[in-house]
Amino acid sequence: MTAAELPPAPSVAGTSLAGAAPYVITAEENRTLCASLGSVAAADGTAHPIYFFIATQVGMGRSVAGLCALCDFDVEEGPMIASSTVTFNRTLMTGQPYWVTGEIKSLVRKRSRSLGVMDVLEYALRLSLPDGGMVLETVNVWVLPRRSLA
Amino acid sequence: MNGAAPLTGAAIAVGTDLPPYSIAAVDPESMKLWAAFLRDPNPIHLDPRAVQAKGLGDKVINQGPANLAYIITMLQRALPGSILVSLEVRYAASVFGGDAVEAGGKITEVAREASGLRIGCEVWLRANDRDPAITGQAVLGLP
Repeated sequence: MTAAELPPAPSVAGTSLAGAAPYVITAEENRTLCASLGSVAAADGTAHPIYFFIATQVGMGRSVAGLCALCDFDVEEGPMIASSTVTFNRTLMTGQPYWVTGEIKSLVRKRSRSLGVMDVLEYALRLSLPDGGMVLETVNVWVLPRRSLA
Repeated sequence: MNGAAPLTGAAIAVGTDLPPYSIAAVDPESMKLWAAFLRDPNPIHLDPRAVQAKGLGDKVINQGPANLAYIITMLQRALPGSILVSLEVRYAASVFGGDAVEAGGKITEVAREASGLRIGCEVWLRANDRDPAITGQAVLGLP
């Protein structure tokens, strides 16, 4: 099957990934996370910046499996994260409620030499304060191998 | 070495290597914590049998965000007081339980702005001297 003959990827671009409830980084979890990295949590309530990923991913209200299901992909097939970008406007703090908004940017079917047929999923997530102030924006790209189409 | 002095003053210059940050062995118990942080129960991070069943090796696979967190921790230690402005990374390979990892980087840009220094860096994470598991660029602000 040539690339042109492949069935199209599910049409999911534009699907909202807004969370239904705010995400709060707890001081206790931040301490545990920092300790897992061999580090010590900041005393001033600053959260580890990796919460850009955790807060958006968890706060959007869809698990990785749920996000895959939106793309008609079984998480058991092994999605692989490919890239992340983030731009911060503010420092992340513990105890602060953050709202997540976002959307799927694209799902593109491709053929690769190493993985065979795969869908490349790109989605953007934004973290905001309750007053609407933007905290950060992140874009993640995942590869969803479509072994059944290989 | 994790004991290397952080960069200050004139040492913050283009071409300077960031003091690396090392973990002697990635602890599978830590992956259980990260599964909870990420609300992601994927068994490849928790059970070596699940990794074997998928033909991905015989050790649990560290979560990608945990690998990225090593890089961010390296940046925090290398440039105390700095604020992460942006980050762009590519996840290129897996890190397995028991792997020794080292996060490092190099300063590629230093610009003086009204708010302080803007510092651009290449960053990377290597496991057991294999090809980098993560590569990318970071921009930090130093008031």
